Amino acid sequence: MKRFFDAELEAFRSHLLQMGERAIDQTRLAMKALADADLALADKVIAADDELDRLEVQIDDEAIRYMTLRGPVASELRLIVVGMKASHDLERVGDEATGIARRSRKLAIEPRLELYADLPRMANIALEMLRDALDCFVQEDEQKALSVIRRDPEVDNLNRTVYRRLTSYMIEKPDTIARALELMFISKSLERIADHATNIAEEMVFLSKGQDIRHSDIGKQDVLPAITNPPV
Amino acid sequence: MRAISVAPAAPVDAAVRAIIEIDDIDFHYGPARALHDITLNIKERQVTAFIGPSGCGKSTLLRCLNRMNDLIDGARVTAGQIRIDGVNIYDPRVDAIELRKRVGMVFQKSNPFPKSIYDNITYGLRIQGEKNKGRLDEVVERSLRGAALWDEVKDRLHESALGMSGGQQQRLCIARAIAVEPEIILMDEPCSALDPIATAKVEELIHELKKQFTIVIVTHNMQQAARCSDRTAFFYLGKLIEFADTRTIFMNPANPQTEAYVSGRFG
Amino acid sequence: MSTTAAAIFNRPTPAKRAETVVFWLLRLATYFVLFCAAFIFIDIGWKGGSVVFRTQAPFLNVPFLTEAPETLNVFTLDGQPRTMGDRAFRAFKATHEAELKGVRIETYVYSAGGIFPNIVGTVLLVAGSVLIALVLGVLSAIYLSEYATDGPFIRFLRLAIINLAGVPSIVFGLFGFGLFVIALDFGVSLLAGWLTMAFMVLPIIITASEEALKAVPRGYREGSLALGATKFQAITTNVLPYALPGILTSSVLSIARVAGETAPIMFTAAFVVRDELPWQVAKWTDFFFQGVMALPYHIYVVASKIPQNEYTRDVQYGTAFVFLFTVAAIAMTAVILRQRLRKRYKW
Repeated sequence: MKRFFDAELEAFRSHLLQMGERAIDQTRLAMKALADADLALADKVIAADDELDRLEVQIDDEAIRYMTLRGPVASELRLIVVGMKASHDLERVGDEATGIARRSRKLAIEPRLELYADLPRMANIALEMLRDALDCFVQEDEQKALSVIRRDPEVDNLNRTVYRRLTSYMIEKPDTIARALELMFISKSLERIADHATNIAEEMVFLSKGQDIRHSDIGKQDVLPAITNPPV
Repeated sequence: MRAISVAPAAPVDAAVRAIIEIDDIDFHYGPARALHDITLNIKERQVTAFIGPSGCGKSTLLRCLNRMNDLIDGARVTAGQIRIDGVNIYDPRVDAIELRKRVGMVFQKSNPFPKSIYDNITYGLRIQGEKNKGRLDEVVERSLRGAALWDEVKDRLHESALGMSGGQQQRLCIARAIAVEPEIILMDEPCSALDPIATAKVEELIHELKKQFTIVIVTHNMQQAARCSDRTAFFYLGKLIEFADTRTIFMNPANPQTEAYVSGRFG
Repeated sequence: MSTTAAAIFNRPTPAKRAETVVFWLLRLATYFVLFCAAFIFIDIGWKGGSVVFRTQAPFLNVPFLTEAPETLNVFTLDGQPRTMGDRAFRAFKATHEAELKGVRIETYVYSAGGIFPNIVGTVLLVAGSVLIALVLGVLSAIYLSEYATDGPFIRFLRLAIINLAGVPSIVFGLFGFGLFVIALDFGVSLLAGWLTMAFMVLPIIITASEEALKAVPRGYREGSLALGATKFQAITTNVLPYALPGILTSSVLSIARVAGETAPIMFTAAFVVRDELPWQVAKWTDFFFQGVMALPYHIYVVASKIPQNEYTRDVQYGTAFVFLFTVAAIAMTAVILRQRLRKRYKW
């Protein structure tokens, strides 16, 4: 039976997706600002973070309202809980994007270091992970969620590679240290974004299966073990 | 017990008109005082829920609103006023019969009359002298549609209402109440005898009806108050403990007694 | 097997033995009552049935059901014993005057003819008094259960009603005689009998009607009132119709009582014998002020007021049988009416 408050749940879901879209956009634009040394764009990204923060507050408010007034259970309850956590992750993605935008502002007025190549690749992978994680939210496809989780080490590896290369570069050319450090932080931000995507993917598995796969090896397997509720 | 300060109601929308103003009401059953200085406003086209443990006075207050308490020997309002559209309904010039046409009521135990569905719906109009078949037919259809019951019963309007399921019977009682076109509908634990599915249907109906009517609902089901109402009043021992926006009552009540009650830790 | 499981198997205990004994006592008591009732009904049915029914067509003793009581003349003529009703005897006498001279004629009152006026009288008495009692009783019951607020006066009223039920019927008879027959000068009449017997059954009807009204769920009253009905509208449209089956149940009881009582009518309404039938009156108002013959009073007369012999026996049993049947028929009508109403208003 359809209930009058189903609309509230739909609104909640769509606000979360909207927030995801925005977080992805912010990151993409921040990377573009970095690549193009576009100050105006970087400013725009920084300014837009407020909207993301507002959305997080709104989603939390809706979640609390729904829990207070509608007494959600089962999948509704999981949706609300997952929604609150995912909105937090997305807000952090937005913060990382803002961080990237700030650093790209600083870098834009300095001579360019030709060591950016790995960063757009990292950004692509991280954003793809994020998008896939959000797709799971719509499709409840835990295979896709697992694939997100399996891609995380790739970003971690890239991050380490960037670290090594930047470290040796700084040793060679100490006058680039300030700029290289900014790049290191950007790399770290991208790695963090991939981590948030992984978190969201894990949350999506919990949403669709009710199975908590955090801090376990389950996420690294190709197929989820069949869900078994504890015997009564 | 110490005097309890009542948190001012946080209005959902301050612009909404208060259709019922309950002003410092005292009520006695014989020598026993059932209501103590109750003051609260009920806003037009909102759902207001009265909650509280049994015997807290919530049903008594509800029954004051259409003067159903007049029928009980020794029961009377001893102080204060209840104004509907600004008119004190306990004014001697007010006719309780006319008042009850404007303030409908749905009871705890669904009470369809042992007549046909059609006769149940038209009862209110017929006692007012309406005989026009066309008009009665129209009202039956409109009321049953309003109560989301038309599709279920349109082929058996002339069968006994007692052949319906419990939930249908209660919705029939709602349809019967709206057939006389009241402005306010009072509901006294309308779902207490219904299963969860029938309850959900009645709640859906309440949500629909508030577009057109002002609804006051007494309920023991806290989830129901939370789901259905815009504002909630918590009563205890004949006193209004807290009256606020429903979300406030259930998330951040000002009074510890309210908190204890809504979280099931009362007494 | 565990001890718990073993414990549930049957084994005798004193409590169980007592249970068996009590069960048989109850059963025997019931059988005894049944036996007594059956004996009475079979006795009357057998002996009375042989008077009322015939072995040839039309299988009914038509004269017994359609004629007035007559005196029986018994005599022996030409060595042949003859029995004749009074009218037949007079006709016979007109033509056989010479032959009857010197013949010894024995007469037995009421032993010939039939009991038609008595049946009519009883039906009239029952219908009238139950109608009066129902109207008065239901109105009082509505007042008591719906309108009156509890207080000393109402409590006194209820006490009075209950006490009324305990008054012996002969006292009602004397009361009716004193008030209606003498003081109000109705004479020995249908009206006096109706009122007397109506008062006699009023307590039954008031009490039962009140119960029937109270049995109607409060929700129907409140439901009506909440829709803007006045109290009277609520009662007439949504309480009284549902209480009617219960009220009719009480009326069945009062029918049996009214039909069966002899004492209240013997001073107020009953004639031992009357030649005209109730509808043979000069003007319509006389209808209410005429006395009637009635079955129970007739039984009383033929059973105790006339010399007993083999001829009166038939009349006694026949009348008793018809009487039982009449009461059963009236009661059955009320029962059927009640069932039909119940089907219409079921909750």
